[in-house]
Amino acid sequence: MDGRSCTLRLLRNSILLSCLWSLSSGTEISFVTCGSVVKLLNVKHNVRLHSHDVRYGSGSGQQSVTGVTAVEDSNSYWSVRGVRGAACLRGTPVRCGQTIRLTHLNTGRNLHSHYFASPLSSNQEVSAFGENGEGDSLDEWTVLCGGSLWRREESVLFRHTTTEALLSVTGEQYGRPIHGQREVHAMSAASQHSYWKVMEGIFMKPSDMPGPRNGNGPVHTEF
Amino acid sequence: MAPRSVNLWSVCCLLLCFVAAVFAGRDFYKILGVPKTASIKDIKKAYRKLALQLHPDRNQGDPEAQDMFSDLGAAYEVLSDEEKRKQYDKFGEEGLKEGHSSSHDDIFSRIIFRFLPQNQDRNVPRGNDIVLDLEVTLEEVYSGNFVEVVRNKPVAKEAPGTRKCNCRQEMRTTQLGPGRFQMTQEVVCDQCPNVKLVNEERTLEVEIEQGVRDDMEYPFIGEGEPHIDGEPGDLRFRIKVLKHPVFERRGDDLYTNVTISLVEALVGFEMEITHLDGHKVHFVRDKITKPGAKLWKKGEGLPNFDNVNIRGSLIVTFDVDFPKDQLDEQQRAGMREQLLKQESIQKVYNGLQGY
Repeated sequence: MDGRSCTLRLLRNSILLSCLWSLSSGTEISFVTCGSVVKLLNVKHNVRLHSHDVRYGSGSGQQSVTGVTAVEDSNSYWSVRGVRGAACLRGTPVRCGQTIRLTHLNTGRNLHSHYFASPLSSNQEVSAFGENGEGDSLDEWTVLCGGSLWRREESVLFRHTTTEALLSVTGEQYGRPIHGQREVHAMSAASQHSYWKVMEGIFMKPSDMPGPRNGNGPVHTEF
Repeated sequence: MAPRSVNLWSVCCLLLCFVAAVFAGRDFYKILGVPKTASIKDIKKAYRKLALQLHPDRNQGDPEAQDMFSDLGAAYEVLSDEEKRKQYDKFGEEGLKEGHSSSHDDIFSRIIFRFLPQNQDRNVPRGNDIVLDLEVTLEEVYSGNFVEVVRNKPVAKEAPGTRKCNCRQEMRTTQLGPGRFQMTQEVVCDQCPNVKLVNEERTLEVEIEQGVRDDMEYPFIGEGEPHIDGEPGDLRFRIKVLKHPVFERRGDDLYTNVTISLVEALVGFEMEITHLDGHKVHFVRDKITKPGAKLWKKGEGLPNFDNVNIRGSLIVTFDVDFPKDQLDEQQRAGMREQLLKQESIQKVYNGLQGY
């Protein structure tokens, strides 16, 4: 058993070393793609979009969504997915203006908004809703960005498709039991508080799909 | 003068030829054990299998294994790259451009993570695991595939100074006067070397193995959430097979439905079904086909995960499409005449039987 753990430590060290070397090879994916799991940073307030099994004490009483300062918290991961009826294939870059769903990885609930007041600032409440990634049409958000595709280094806006309000943070802080976490809400006007950027995560690269080439195209008989 | 230079020249030629023969370069296909026509997928599979066997940590102090391992790395680096492979096929190893883009350790570590057994040291605090649903298509389950992902995560780096760690509540007793004491609660921390979290990226590769089933997991040790006082958790990919518009999976068998016309049902037909990898499955039927009739095609199902040489079956269920337009009197007379053998039955019975 001793030799085994020694081996593991050796391997782990060599892996850490090669980690540093691979840094120079750079990123091989510049866009955010469907199927990726990401952390979203509010640029102005430097907090990450977060959810957990804690419900709002007012408003809708649904699962709360907050902003946290911690960098390493697995409850800050959100899955980028297409909407129902318009499946987004794994690895497809998200287009600017595309409607997506952001599903909280650990609880399986979707980023959601509706006409309820947020507890601290009385803006529009943003919650996490649904089961196993399925909720309703109020789970849909439009990605607003500059070019044609959502670039990883770009700061983007998330507009709630139905209410047209923008996902924002203005700095109000909660007390116990989620001390220090910021309120996340939606506001009707875009401002510096509404910009978000992807940070840590697992980004899916597009794959070569096996199978018949692109379905049932016309058969060539002239050859 | 001329004969001597000719001799020298031929000797030099011979030497060069000899040197070239010795250093003609390695046979990368032989090293990986794949044919020259192998697909990139076969090459990757062969590499993974051999890399695990030949890794130096597993063959400590065996210099032959070390050489074979570095040969393996070189072979994979060339054959897994389209450009380099083309050059190698034409000109051999010497025809390749100088310089290697990545170290062998690099290539190895990005895919071999998942085979490392977990170190069960409970005393070290661990970061959270990340479990990620990986959606795969039925085509990928049939043929297998490789998915590349980029993992961007914070890594603890040394920083100058110290920081507080292992903070805990302790009771402190202070003396207020002779015989009078007070107990207060205090937060006490240790001093640890300072670390800062820096975001780093690496590419990982997940293999979608043939025949993989729902909820099977592919773990990558240490790629989960970091822990500032301890070890990072793991990243686990959980397979989620998507629904297919044509085929339904049940275990290793595939089910599909075909609608045929009434005429085809009565007189027979010939047809093809395009399978998940594009190959055609041929059907010939010359008997009457009843609605709900099933046809079994052995070996046309999915490969079994544990043994890809075993395949399930393809089961085709037929349903019959009746003509939409009503028949006129002439057609009805014709029908009665044609199908005279089948008399009017009109059997009344309970078809539900309690359902």
